[in-house]
Amino acid sequence: MIPGLTGSSFRPLLRTGNRFDRDAADRPVVIFEDVHKAFRSDCPVLRGFSLTIERGEFLFVTGPSGSGKSTLLRLLYAAEGVDAGRILFLGRDIGRLAPNSIPYLRRNVGVVFQDFKLVDNWTVNENVAVPLQVLGLPTRLIHRRVGEALERVGLGGRGADRCVVLSGGERQRVAIARAIVAEPALILADEPTGNLDPQLAVDILGLFEDIHATGVTVIFATHDRSLLDIRPRRVVVLDEGRAFDVPQGLEPGSFRDAQSSAEAPSGLARVKLGAA
Amino acid sequence: MTTIERALRGIRSDVRAHLLSVFSVGVAFVCLVATLLVLVNVERVHERWESIGKISVFLRLGTDQKQVSELERALKATEGIVSVRYVSSDAARRDLLRDDPDEVLSSLPEQAFPASIELETKEPFLREEKQRLSAQLQSLPAVETVENYDNYAKKLGHALVGGVTAASVLAFVVLLAVISVVSSTMRLSLQRRKMEVEVLRLVGATNDYVRRPLLVEGMAQGALGALFAIVLMFFLYAILRSSLFEEFSLLFGVAPSFLSFPLCLTLVLSGALLGVFAAALSLRKMLVV
Repeated sequence: MIPGLTGSSFRPLLRTGNRFDRDAADRPVVIFEDVHKAFRSDCPVLRGFSLTIERGEFLFVTGPSGSGKSTLLRLLYAAEGVDAGRILFLGRDIGRLAPNSIPYLRRNVGVVFQDFKLVDNWTVNENVAVPLQVLGLPTRLIHRRVGEALERVGLGGRGADRCVVLSGGERQRVAIARAIVAEPALILADEPTGNLDPQLAVDILGLFEDIHATGVTVIFATHDRSLLDIRPRRVVVLDEGRAFDVPQGLEPGSFRDAQSSAEAPSGLARVKLGAA
Repeated sequence: MTTIERALRGIRSDVRAHLLSVFSVGVAFVCLVATLLVLVNVERVHERWESIGKISVFLRLGTDQKQVSELERALKATEGIVSVRYVSSDAARRDLLRDDPDEVLSSLPEQAFPASIELETKEPFLREEKQRLSAQLQSLPAVETVENYDNYAKKLGHALVGGVTAASVLAFVVLLAVISVVSSTMRLSLQRRKMEVEVLRLVGATNDYVRRPLLVEGMAQGALGALFAIVLMFFLYAILRSSLFEEFSLLFGVAPSFLSFPLCLTLVLSGALLGVFAAALSLRKMLVV
């Protein structure tokens, strides 16, 4: 049985403080409702984007560079705000969170980046332990959970090493361990394989699939089509402010078709088109 | 991991910058500590001179021995006077020439060395008592002038007020220097630890959580800087004390002393508070979620 996932009585491992909401377990993890986002008025990144991500889903977000993949993820951990529309995370509107509530949102979201975002002069243990230290857990518990997280990513016994001596693949594993160590409800991976060679990229994807198998919702942003072809997963394609939802994954060549055709191709359901 | 542990990790990661900051704060504090050291000792000399139990009663020329003896007798019977010593004009001249055998001095007329009665009173002798006794003595027909050394204490008192003003200005300059140094170090430290701060924000650390160790680092820089200045000045004082002790005691009537423990503690705490303030000031705008 997958830990944290017991049929219909799924109980997310959330830190909701003293306002635990039982109904939250039945809601989708993320709902985008008619979201608009632009950094320049003449070049919108998202135009009327709507999407529902159910609990325990594995979702690829793909599209060419600059299509808004990273922005989509940044909206989810409140590094950016929406211009219009709503983003509901476990039923709560992220856009309406007070600034002092944003850290509490981030404690429920693990984020992995292409550039790892590790503190080089810290040890692996120190880097992975940060989310638990922020939660104020006892040292002994932190030590145990960091050890478990490192085992899960295949870095058991490397805790005392400084991050600066690790290879790219190992550094990304440390970043993944840091993202999962606090058992967040949602993991966002922003081009996590961008700096890795193809074989390592496949390994890292496998790691995310293992994490997903434990019931965690994963949103994996990548422009690498070869990763999308490995296993059919739900894919959201972003391009020039438009978004297409492909529930069963892309068929070979379908994304290229989508780009060349004004109409959504077979297998692609346009999520919501803005005024393109 | 506690805030202190996180602050220590921050200091370890950037030891050189922190040491430089402590040294700079220390240099600023050295000026203040040195001024305070001077003021404390001047204050002690002032207190000593204010309460000194010595009065010199200079007699008119031609005062005969009988008048002197009556005066001595009357003074010995006066409450508060513990010793009365008559110094004749010749004795005064001999005393001076013994220390400085100068021809010019030896050729001075008798008026330059008036006979006197040297009084020693109980100590401490209150200023008001001293002034009352001086006024009474001044009214006697055989007495030319009375020197109670109060003017010296007054002059020293004025110098002390000036010194306190100078120390206050210096304290303000130190305040600005500490704020400037600690703020710069904090900004530099934040710049170097940009990734650490980014990671902390990413995993849901509140602004307070990120700020706390940096405030502790600022506090440590301020407190250690002040402590460094105090320790440095104590060593200098200890070196000078052995050679200046006797001269200082002879000249001013009091032994030199270092800053009291409560004053040192106040300086260190002031350094710590200034450090926290400076760190908070520099972090105010730099740390926003």
